[in-house]
Amino acid sequence: MVRFRISKGLKLPEKGIPRQRVDEHPAPRRAALVGADLFGMRAALEVSVGDVVAAGDIVFRDRRNPEITFAAPLSGQVSAIEFGPRRTLSALIIDGDGVRRDDPVESPAVAPSNRTDLRERLLQRGLWNAFRTRPFGIIPAPAARADAIVVNAVPSSALAPDPSVVIAVRPEAFRDGLASLTQLADGPVHLCRAPDAILCNPLPEGVEEAVFSGTSAVGLAGTQISRLCPAGPGRQVWSIGYQDVIAIGHLLRTGAYLAERIMSVVGPRAARPRLLRSVIGADLHAIASVEAGTDPTSSCTVISGDSLTGCEAQFLGRYDDQMTLADPVRPADRTRKLHTRLVQRSAITPTVQLERAMGIDVLPVPLMRALSVGDVDTAERLGCLELIEEDVAALSRLCTSGADYGRLLREVLDQLAVDAA
Amino acid sequence: MTRPHVLVGHWGVTGVTAAQGLALLAPVGVALLQGGALKAMMLIAAVVVVLIWELLFALLRNRRVSFHGLTVAVIVAVLSPALLPLWQLAIALSLGLVLGELVFGGRGFGFVAPATVTLSVLVVSFPQAGLAPVSAQIALATVPGALFLLYLGLMSWRVVVGVMLALLALQGLSLDPIAVATALSFGLVFLACDPVAAASTNPGRWLYGALTGLLIALFSAGNGAITTEALVFAALLSSIFAPLIDHLVVLADAARRRRRFG
Repeated sequence: MVRFRISKGLKLPEKGIPRQRVDEHPAPRRAALVGADLFGMRAALEVSVGDVVAAGDIVFRDRRNPEITFAAPLSGQVSAIEFGPRRTLSALIIDGDGVRRDDPVESPAVAPSNRTDLRERLLQRGLWNAFRTRPFGIIPAPAARADAIVVNAVPSSALAPDPSVVIAVRPEAFRDGLASLTQLADGPVHLCRAPDAILCNPLPEGVEEAVFSGTSAVGLAGTQISRLCPAGPGRQVWSIGYQDVIAIGHLLRTGAYLAERIMSVVGPRAARPRLLRSVIGADLHAIASVEAGTDPTSSCTVISGDSLTGCEAQFLGRYDDQMTLADPVRPADRTRKLHTRLVQRSAITPTVQLERAMGIDVLPVPLMRALSVGDVDTAERLGCLELIEEDVAALSRLCTSGADYGRLLREVLDQLAVDAA
Repeated sequence: MTRPHVLVGHWGVTGVTAAQGLALLAPVGVALLQGGALKAMMLIAAVVVVLIWELLFALLRNRRVSFHGLTVAVIVAVLSPALLPLWQLAIALSLGLVLGELVFGGRGFGFVAPATVTLSVLVVSFPQAGLAPVSAQIALATVPGALFLLYLGLMSWRVVVGVMLALLALQGLSLDPIAVATALSFGLVFLACDPVAAASTNPGRWLYGALTGLLIALFSAGNGAITTEALVFAALLSSIFAPLIDHLVVLADAARRRRRFG
């Protein structure tokens, strides 16, 4: 077991800590698979509007790699398929039939005999997209090899669900999922946890434990990977969230696709901060209308993810386990007008705080300069291959220029991915 | 959201200038008390010149007027000699502000502190005038502002320590430490430690500070004391070298990264 203390990175406010007990969410009425989680993949649809689907049915594939599939999180009817710019999928929305099904809908489970078998199974059943690669932060290619797999079970703050509480719901599934990952990786499987969490005892063979403590940056897979097994040119590392490990274990044990997502409902507007058992892609607006308090007219900003790395969304992101009900962005009242008139946000001021913003050992100001002018070579030399959007969210927050470094980083990463291919 | 570093991000470049303005209040107050009407005249003249240029560039570039030049005016007014003709001040300030900041697109886009450029122009073009030495009172009044800027991260302690170490290494304790601290204080905080002018990486800040200290020692060699002129030129030269220092740090970082990946 290795221990890491991360002193760099921001500390998120921890007001309104949720009650760490899993509350049942009445069967979700609506969920969606959103295009933002496809990282530029183009969807080849398998269903059309009006089709009836069961949870776990494949609804679309990646057009370039048809082996990569995406499963319906909910049983019900496909109510809308929305497209964004250049006909990319924006959201595939399913209206639920109001029945929560946890029972196996498929043939009984057969444990995968070898690595290829396991790979096939995850690809076919829509669980492959639980993995994200470093570098680039995309879904791995079907034939890609992982030099290591990092299981992220470190909460970014006390507002996130406590992994030990969530895993306690399905401990065997987590164990089996973890054990199966060792078949998948060429190198070690690292289970990252908070100091006093007991997740899995004893650990499956081949799984190494790493303990992370410190700022909110500990909850980012990028921070963990950079300490355990830095990714870079020629070294690919996959990250996966602990709830997806449970889903893999559940698939292997029962043969059923588990779209369950236990998430925390927190933020200044959450009346009762708590954990909810919901599904991947759950309709956050519907949950917000219940959770935001007694006043039905009080609107709030609904964020999928935490207050730093999350973004405003109607549906829960594929990789998020937290929704934040933030104060609404106020309409143009007087102070706001004064703020926009007075505040000039254009140049980068190299303040000392920027040096302490990121949990990853990268020179922040040169990186910000390279990103803001789109200097791909310099950004690569500075180590941008270790980063994805969530890792640089703190820089956007602290910078006087008002630039969105996540978006700038994505452009640079896309360029590097094209060059590497 | 009330923590200092988030505030700086929230208020943008305007917030940086406002914080520097706040930090300048005490020293400029003391300078006005000591300098009387002459100093006040100089300050007013400097502010007028600065505002004219800010307005002109705002019109030329079709942007909103910015007020970043005000801090430049205040710093220059504090360090200008009491008997400086106002036209000389106007010329130096115009050159400094335009060439040091406005031609680059405003605050934060250049690589030198416009106040440093202004004072350098003043010394080079009108050498008989010299610069005002910093009194002990002004030096003392600088301290709260310096702490405030350190707290907001708009000034790096690494630069300060770098300067001190270099001076100590080169001159030992041959100079009176109190006199050195007095002479350095105001210029070090508002010229050398300006976040735009200084290096922008932590290793770079050490090197930048050391270079500044070395140049201060070099320029004031033979004087028996540290002069404001030496400090200004040292700040100017080292801020010109700051981008190079940062570049070297980036190269070293890239080499380290390559070694790690073999």
